[in-house]
Amino acid sequence: MPNRRFGFYLALPAILVLLVLLAIPALLTLFQSLFVVPDDGIGIGQFTDVDNYLFIFKNEIFWATCLRSIVFAAIFIIGSTLIGLAGALLLNEKFVGRLFLRGLLVLPWACPWLIVGIIWKWFLDGNIGLLNGVLMRLNLISSNQDFLSNPDTALVMTALAATWRQSCLVALLLLAGLQTMPRDIWDAASVDGAGIIQRFRHITLPWLRPALTVVTVLNVIYGLMQFDVIFAMTQGGPGSATTLLSYLIYRQFFIFTNFGVGSALAVALAVIALIGGLIAVKTLYRKIEV
Amino acid sequence: MKTVRRRRPLSRARIVRTSMIYSVAACFVLWILFPIWYTISSSFTEPSKIGVRPTPFWPANPTLDNYKIVLGIPIRDKDCTPGVDIGNCQTAASNVSVNKIVDTMLNSFYVASTVVVITLIISTIAAYSLSRYRFVGSNFFLNFTILSRIVPGLVLVAPIFIFLRVLDLLNTPWALIISYTSFTLPLAIIILKNYFDQISVDLEEAAALDGAGRILTLRLIILPVAVPGLIAAGVLVFLESWSEFFFALVLTDSYTVPPLLAGFLSMQTFNWTLLSAATVIAIIPPVLLTMIFQKYIVTALASGTGK
Repeated sequence: MPNRRFGFYLALPAILVLLVLLAIPALLTLFQSLFVVPDDGIGIGQFTDVDNYLFIFKNEIFWATCLRSIVFAAIFIIGSTLIGLAGALLLNEKFVGRLFLRGLLVLPWACPWLIVGIIWKWFLDGNIGLLNGVLMRLNLISSNQDFLSNPDTALVMTALAATWRQSCLVALLLLAGLQTMPRDIWDAASVDGAGIIQRFRHITLPWLRPALTVVTVLNVIYGLMQFDVIFAMTQGGPGSATTLLSYLIYRQFFIFTNFGVGSALAVALAVIALIGGLIAVKTLYRKIEV
Repeated sequence: MKTVRRRRPLSRARIVRTSMIYSVAACFVLWILFPIWYTISSSFTEPSKIGVRPTPFWPANPTLDNYKIVLGIPIRDKDCTPGVDIGNCQTAASNVSVNKIVDTMLNSFYVASTVVVITLIISTIAAYSLSRYRFVGSNFFLNFTILSRIVPGLVLVAPIFIFLRVLDLLNTPWALIISYTSFTLPLAIIILKNYFDQISVDLEEAAALDGAGRILTLRLIILPVAVPGLIAAGVLVFLESWSEFFFALVLTDSYTVPPLLAGFLSMQTFNWTLLSAATVIAIIPPVLLTMIFQKYIVTALASGTGK
């Protein structure tokens, strides 16, 4: 058998599985977004051109939800990257308890997203949550705050909960990048009189760029797709203060069984995620050459 | 008068640096432990003690009763006044369905292990092929696989839901095993392809000279060298399957751990101390796995996904 065909046969099972489980469902969703799909989801009903899209694009709820999703993702991406970077730089130093802290990072990272939501819902609880208890003891608040029932704080708090887990993964990945950095570059720069901040900007950061790109793409995906944390903590409430696109889609599909509109929303989300991922790759890669 | 010279004089800069390091480290420990500590301490708290304000850091009379109830171990009757101490009563607790946690964890293990086996078999040969052979469309297939990591499950869920309903597989472990493969397979293929790329082709050429066939070479020469990559891919796939919530919520009736815990949250009268115990039990397997295999996973993730 020629090598070409042998290679193809080895890949064939994966190709078939991904065709059936990924390509066809994705195309069907794209297809369904152009139709009025019956409630049972079987068949495609009447062709409506781009009516489903017109419906969502003309709808204020859609744009408000998009904005909310982007705000959530922005807090999540910036927070995870900054906290993770700080953690990686810290763990790259020698100090007592370094291994302990490194082990600790695994704890949030190993938690399923839903459990992250449960942990933070309980932590932030308006009646007996620990955060309220501590703020009270420190006299920072005079009465208990219900962070998750307050529309002004709920979105930030859910984003913070998601950041809690992701920052630990980011720290571990960036640390892996830092540890491959040859120490002599740093020492050479330090002999040449470069200060800590200069060395960070001109040596560490460029060195970390590939790792930062990986991490940011991951963050964009998890930030824009986040569902579990919202489901556990707020179910999209209070009102619609934490209803992200993912949650809106879930409700269109499985509560209102509106497959046409749900599919259109899902396609919109996929496009937003794709754009977000591309922006991340473009901005982080271009700077390498500068 | 002679003084012994200290080897590392405590310069001002060093003091500043050291105190910076330890204060940042302290912030980090707080950031990580603070939220999860409350769940852990609540799991050892008697339900009746949970309303104390301001919330204490440490449970007043630590008890294992929450764990016993959740795990279905009988607790002594005198701890229980029916109708009053709801959380302490086994009869009351069994209505609350938390003690399904053991069965549900076994379900999760079953689903996750099956997904790992299926994914590893299919992805190993596919990744090996992508690393060593060119065939018509092989580049397209590789790019498709990488790109598919960005496709949200939400885009796939409705057609998969309908497929599974037509095949009458909803509410079975196979609903999850099948749907999870849609995202674990690309992940494993990318990790393993990167790994095979790092293995020198010399090995195969030597084997070919000795007259070994291509399949025999893959089995006897390449696979043993690829064990770290296989471990990384396997553990990551296991963790993703263990943690997955959305498909499990939509395609089954709380078959695995995450939807079980979520269902518990949405009940009118539920007990935080029991839920805390269940949560702690539920994160023990992924935490152990991640701790043991941390090196493999971090290497695979850091070197891989972004290509």
